[in-house]
Amino acid sequence: MNITDSFTRIRLIAGTTFLEAVRQKFFNSLLLISIALVASSTFFQQFDFGTGELKFITDFGFGALFFFGSILSITATTQLFFNEMENRTALTMLAKPVYKLEFLAGKFLGAHLLMLCFTLVITLVLSGILYWREMVLLERLGNELTSNVSLIRYGDVFLFGFLQWMKFGIIAAFTLFVASFSNTNLYTIVVSFFMLIICQLQYIVRDTYSGMEAGWERILVLGLGLIFPNFQLFNIGDQLVFDVEKAPAVSTVLQITGYGAVYSIAFVLLAQVNFRRREI
Amino acid sequence: MKFLLHPLLIRLSRIVSILLLLVLLGLLARPIEAPAWKAVKAGQSEMNLEAFEGALGQGLIIGVLGGFRAILADFLWIRTNIIWERKDRAKLDSMVRLVTTLDPRPDFFWINGSRMIAYDVPNWRIREEGGYSDVSEERQQAIDLEQSAQAFDLIDQALNFHPNNARLYLEKAQIYLNRLKDDANAAKWFLKASQQEDAPYFVGRIHAELLRKQGLDAEAYDFLKNLHIELPNTPSAQKGIILERIVDLEKTLEIPPRERFMPSKEPLVK
Amino acid sequence: MATPAICIQNLTKDFAVGMRGMKLRAVEDLCLEVGDNEIFGLLGPNGSGKSTTIKIILGLLEASTGNCEIYGKPSKLVDARRSVGFLPEAPYFYRYLTGRELVRYYARICMVARAEIDAAVDSVIKLVGMTEAADRRVGTYSKGMLQRIGLAQSLVHDPQLVILDEPTAGVDPLGSAAIAEIVRELKRRGKTILLSSHLLAQIEGLCDRVAILHRGKLVREGLVDDLVQEKDAESLVVQGLNDEGRAAVEAEIKAQGGRLARVERPRLSLDAYFLKEVHQREIEHVTQQEGGEEL
Repeated sequence: MNITDSFTRIRLIAGTTFLEAVRQKFFNSLLLISIALVASSTFFQQFDFGTGELKFITDFGFGALFFFGSILSITATTQLFFNEMENRTALTMLAKPVYKLEFLAGKFLGAHLLMLCFTLVITLVLSGILYWREMVLLERLGNELTSNVSLIRYGDVFLFGFLQWMKFGIIAAFTLFVASFSNTNLYTIVVSFFMLIICQLQYIVRDTYSGMEAGWERILVLGLGLIFPNFQLFNIGDQLVFDVEKAPAVSTVLQITGYGAVYSIAFVLLAQVNFRRREI
Repeated sequence: MKFLLHPLLIRLSRIVSILLLLVLLGLLARPIEAPAWKAVKAGQSEMNLEAFEGALGQGLIIGVLGGFRAILADFLWIRTNIIWERKDRAKLDSMVRLVTTLDPRPDFFWINGSRMIAYDVPNWRIREEGGYSDVSEERQQAIDLEQSAQAFDLIDQALNFHPNNARLYLEKAQIYLNRLKDDANAAKWFLKASQQEDAPYFVGRIHAELLRKQGLDAEAYDFLKNLHIELPNTPSAQKGIILERIVDLEKTLEIPPRERFMPSKEPLVK
Repeated sequence: MATPAICIQNLTKDFAVGMRGMKLRAVEDLCLEVGDNEIFGLLGPNGSGKSTTIKIILGLLEASTGNCEIYGKPSKLVDARRSVGFLPEAPYFYRYLTGRELVRYYARICMVARAEIDAAVDSVIKLVGMTEAADRRVGTYSKGMLQRIGLAQSLVHDPQLVILDEPTAGVDPLGSAAIAEIVRELKRRGKTILLSSHLLAQIEGLCDRVAILHRGKLVREGLVDDLVQEKDAESLVVQGLNDEGRAAVEAEIKAQGGRLARVERPRLSLDAYFLKEVHQREIEHVTQQEGGEEL
């Protein structure tokens, strides 16, 4: 297996996957809805929250990115995988000298690239709106504010976007894993959503674990905490953006990024275990 | 041994091995996950779930736990505003507490909540009891004290989350000053506010003014001299006004010319 | 002895069905050899195991037992597929790409050297007669055109073995004839072609050898002529014979110890008749148009 050739094939498969994905109506409608939602946060001006308005806009933007991004990550990956299966383009592709792992990696990267596109658009729209409102507020409240420095750390908006994107990577990878053994679109989407919810809430189980007595239940809880990745790790939006809060350390960001990468790769490899045996 | 080759058993063994692989992965990822989780968790404010379980219902609780805590607080704050417009004081108090419990991060919720409780609710209550002309002064004061106590309680809670936030101290000072007309306590809290890093420059001037109002001219004079030295040479620090007050106080206190305050001649920094 | 293009030995494939894992046998103890530079037809009704066999040859499925090799390499190895081109039944491609982009894409997937890509793409597009439509989007192609561009993508990396799964299914007779002509051209270029079909008339004149599968088992295998010729009978095609002459011929056959088994009028196959008629009219139409333009 020539690694350079392998990467070329993965890149090519990812490229077509991405192109196919951005042409999907679903992606475009979801992107438009998300942009509309982020843009509609300007409606908070009506309440005259002062600088609080910026917090509302940020929460709204982050919420839209997190919520619609998760939906898109699951549905787009499922759609892209099953399209290939149902239209039998996978058959044409895998009849070529292409490894099944290359095919899966290409699909994953294509979906991940799509999520990068989505995340970038949302964070750019959010930053634009924040900048506009910040300028308006600074002009209006300038005299009342103690310091005339920027109210928002824009780098943090993109940092949050980046970490969410890493999480979307895990979501796309585990969706691919579910798709590798599932026969239908619907089953994949439903199971992946359940996994998403579990990953999002598994930290509660872990918190419970620390207070439990030794026994089977404790082992079960420990197991659950280990099987599913901890998505709360990526949920650091609350600590970002505003000057009053302390930004997370670079080491923490790197650790979270590493965690996302490890789980994404692991789930793609696990998908390969099932996909290897699957009839195309 | 043939039963070991039964497709169901084979399938089951595959599932178990995948789960074991995931557990192994979980264990291997711990060294990077644990410190990151510790740092992230430290940044998240503690939540007392029972406090709002009844108010939110199971569906929203999952949303809160799942990461939509801030946005839910925002929506509930908008609802709080609607309740405030309707002057429903019973609900207002619990809503303010719910929002600040959900997202204690922004001082905005605490400050605006305490303003509603300390300034608006007393008006509503007095009106409910017949209006300012019919309700006795004592009763009005009692209502003000009651509501201010609730607002102070809220601000004290906020200070647990934001111990260095000048705006919270300032808020307390202003309630004492504007609602309770308690200059002594107001001066105390304006002083505390002025001691915070992000304090606006005017806070110190108000503290000195309140000392003067209470007849504590010497204390006001000392405070203003220090303030003049500590404040930066920027136009917004309004050092000219401080100097005028110092000069006034020197006249009142009859400070001998030689002992009078001599400001340094540093140029203004723009 | 030259290495066979495909060598299948005692191949069996079972599928587990349902939760209890009931076995469904798709192919049973299949032995088959396809020689180099041969056109080989895999025939059989739907569900006879043709597609499963092809998928195993392509390494898309693993055999339950038995072996399958392509030019001496186990078919499950990706490396074995370097010498294989495949056209699936009723192919579907990325609709937003043009025919040329599609073929180019697969050429790159097959790691055709950059310097050779353009020439390789042009050459296969010309071979399948798609030069005119190569820059149109695949989404606008008819079934026959899809089949041709599919053929082009399967040939772009110059494979030695070409596998065509129902290449003429759903294609009109003209299209089928064109595909058959391409297959013959491939054979002339030294390629081996394995094609599966249930449209026997189209295969008959094309294949050197065929194998007939039924319920996963090999029923017959051999040269087409060997399989369909009546070994103990010959036919004489005679023109311009009157009744007396015919009686004399019959008597002579009898005298020579033969027996006249049946008398019938030779007939063209409907396929051949259709092609002859359409071709003739096409030539007339083109000639007329050219004449018109000259005037």
